[in-house]
Amino acid sequence: MRQTMPVRLGPAEDTLIAQLTSVGASAEADRMTVAGLPTRRVESYHYTDLKTLLKTVPPLATPANQASAPALRVAGAYQLMIANGVVQGASTAPAGVIVGKSAGGVLTSRDDVLVHLNGALAREALTLTLESSVDPVIQIDRRCEGDAAHVADAVKIFVADNGSAVILETFSGSDAAHVGNHATYLALGKNAVVTHITVDLSAKASSHFASNEYSLAEGAKLRTVTIHAGAGLSRSQVFARFVGAGAHADFTGLNLVADGQHNDITIDIRHGVAHTTSQEMYKQIARGRSKAVFQGKIVVERDAQKTDAKMMMQGLMLSDEAEILSKPELEIYADDVVCGHGSTCGELDEDSMFYLMSRGIPKAEAETMLVRGFIAEVLDPIEDEALNEALNGIVDGWLLGK
Amino acid sequence: MADYDHIPTLKENIDRATVDSVLSLDVDKYKYGFETDIESDMAPKGLSEDTVRFISAKKNEPEWMLEWRLDAYKRFLTLTEPTWAKVHYPQIDLQDMYYYAAPKSTPAPKSLDEVDPALIAMYDKLGVPLREREILAGVERPNVAVDAVMDSVSVVTTFREELAKVGIIFCSIAEAIREHPDLVRKYLASVVPVSDNYYATLNSAVFTDGSFVYIPKGVRCPMELSTYFRINEKKTGQFERTLIIAEADSYVSYLEGCTAPMRDENQLHAAVVELVALDNAEIKYSTVQNWYPGDKDGKGGIYNFVTKRGDCRGANSKISWTQVETGSAITWKYPSCILRGDGSRGEFYSIAISNGHQQVDSGTKMIHLGKNTSSRIISKGIAAGFSDNTYRGQVSAHAKAKNARNFTQCDSLLIGDTCGAHTVPYIESRNGSAVFEHEATTSKISDDQMFYCQQRGLNEEEAVALIVNGFVRDVLQHLPMEFMVETQKLIAISLEGSVG
Repeated sequence: MRQTMPVRLGPAEDTLIAQLTSVGASAEADRMTVAGLPTRRVESYHYTDLKTLLKTVPPLATPANQASAPALRVAGAYQLMIANGVVQGASTAPAGVIVGKSAGGVLTSRDDVLVHLNGALAREALTLTLESSVDPVIQIDRRCEGDAAHVADAVKIFVADNGSAVILETFSGSDAAHVGNHATYLALGKNAVVTHITVDLSAKASSHFASNEYSLAEGAKLRTVTIHAGAGLSRSQVFARFVGAGAHADFTGLNLVADGQHNDITIDIRHGVAHTTSQEMYKQIARGRSKAVFQGKIVVERDAQKTDAKMMMQGLMLSDEAEILSKPELEIYADDVVCGHGSTCGELDEDSMFYLMSRGIPKAEAETMLVRGFIAEVLDPIEDEALNEALNGIVDGWLLGK
Repeated sequence: MADYDHIPTLKENIDRATVDSVLSLDVDKYKYGFETDIESDMAPKGLSEDTVRFISAKKNEPEWMLEWRLDAYKRFLTLTEPTWAKVHYPQIDLQDMYYYAAPKSTPAPKSLDEVDPALIAMYDKLGVPLREREILAGVERPNVAVDAVMDSVSVVTTFREELAKVGIIFCSIAEAIREHPDLVRKYLASVVPVSDNYYATLNSAVFTDGSFVYIPKGVRCPMELSTYFRINEKKTGQFERTLIIAEADSYVSYLEGCTAPMRDENQLHAAVVELVALDNAEIKYSTVQNWYPGDKDGKGGIYNFVTKRGDCRGANSKISWTQVETGSAITWKYPSCILRGDGSRGEFYSIAISNGHQQVDSGTKMIHLGKNTSSRIISKGIAAGFSDNTYRGQVSAHAKAKNARNFTQCDSLLIGDTCGAHTVPYIESRNGSAVFEHEATTSKISDDQMFYCQQRGLNEEEAVALIVNGFVRDVLQHLPMEFMVETQKLIAISLEGSVG
């Protein structure tokens, strides 16, 4: 009874197939030929129909010969750069940091088109080994430069047992219609403490895809902050797996979606062992005619007893044409767990606006104050002052319509 | 019976007796599993255009209905089976079942006395009152008009004259097609389009019977209406179709119950239920679904693939779904509300209990289209044994649905560590003034609660039953009185022995 419908391939898929073939990834090329880009019928892309959204793919990136101005500078940070997929030379690393390069992709294989593409197309990866506690903020500046290009790059970070670090990744570049497909693999050793922040500041004309994979050993503590404030089309994926008891993670994010944009944050958190906890807190703000998507999935595996996981998505609509779509999923196979999720969505509270305006605060300013209050929960836990200020600056910039 | 090998982890705090009773569950506890020996008139096996024509001819349907069915059948051939639900089952062979089975008896019994006594006995055994005078005699029993559907035909409909006095039409859908073609043509497939989904399209082609309810303008239905579905014959699918129309300012409460014999084969039940509520009308639809869930190894049981949808077509109309799901090997249903009329309201209250190897993927859809529409979803899932229990629900507000309001609460309870509970909500807000709230929790019965109850002298199972009944109370209180008692018993039966 079941028929397989032949997939009609569009120009973006044709380009991707040619690019995959040109780098010798024939298996991936075949996969793309058979399946094409995911449509809304693919459950994990339910709200982000890449087949319609990604119309064209520019040619594969060549090494960049110029660089645009840095999108974000944090005072005192140790800088590393990857431009158009090529790892750039770096200054002397601070104590405890070993910088290196490796070939190919960094993510473990999974059935996801962006992961497949990155794995096949990323030529080299920046590797970072953090042997102990690292004081300065480590900033990895990932760029798509020059004419429109399809960029695939990768970063692999190991944090040794008892190590700690604050790692900031920024994504930016020239104003061309790039397609950036970025991958980061971050493994936390026993009792390691890491804050990992990714900020998409790429051009509005570009498409930004990022897949971050985390592995948490015993007693590790992780905080992630995913911020979208750039590309017109974006999807950030967070794949995390708890492999050691006593590990805890806060997964947080801000999805700032302006007129004409479609931004998606998708997370997939797997509690694989007993006694692990996680808290997910994502905030989405949409204005103009735009789409903000959050898909969250917490999986508690059979053996992961005593898991405590709480997921929260809060959406704020600043216009009537905006759409906020969310799918907070729980998939639970262990019985002795406490799991919950919440999702709310609405506009700015009229009473609060009235309160502020009745005290003489102009409307625009009152709005800004309330929005700042709304997102404070996500940014406040970032302790490094310079970094906190820089991130708040991004939000302020977005609010002013930059 | 003490076969512990296939239980992967035996926690130290579970005693053996509990495990024994979990293992002995489901098969022994399904009390509607008997089979009634009634001679049946069957259609030739398999699905084909001839089968469709056969059913239509059997039902003495007018030409337009046959055309309608054939059109549905043609569309069905172009569709593929959906696979997105979190349920796993072997491919269903649609050619290896019967699409029509009718108890062979004298054509169209005029009164209950002419109905085959074996049939009456069967319904008596199920606890469904078909004898009007008995019901009338018993003072305490609330009035319920029943339409009993066995396999492919409606056997008997009670209280018809009484209902006709106030203008209510309550009959089988086959009869409605013959007697009230205008109403049927106007409303049939207006809520669930012919090719809405795979199983709904199949149903449109081969549906055999079901209930038809028409409540005229301004009438408040004086009694509960009820349909009782029973699959009896082997290798048959049941495809029933229910259509309820509530004209302006009317009210009706409708109950549905289902059971089937215990067999080691899987039987398909693919129904379509359509509700239409016009201005200020209210429809309350309650289901106690207790199809045979299969034995302890997951063998047999009903595949319950149902499309239920209500259309709040008029302003300020209201549709509420209340369901108690305890049966079926696989449940795949999403009673939905399309909130089209301004100010309309949709409600969904659900208790889904799964045990043994049952798989439940159920939930609702609230589609807000009109202004000032509101909806509320309360779903309680309880998983025990080796079952998987998924809540899947969609709430969406259209750009024009100003001030749409939704509140969703879905809680899951896990009993034992070999089951799974999942929540998959789709929350789609397409307009700034819509306010959506969603919360979900998953937990097990806390030790504190158990300690509190046991310390006051309840044994472990009683304590679990008490806590579970408290857990589902929000939903239970929306059930009509006579169902509430039955449901509380059902919950006790379904969970008995699953303490963990």
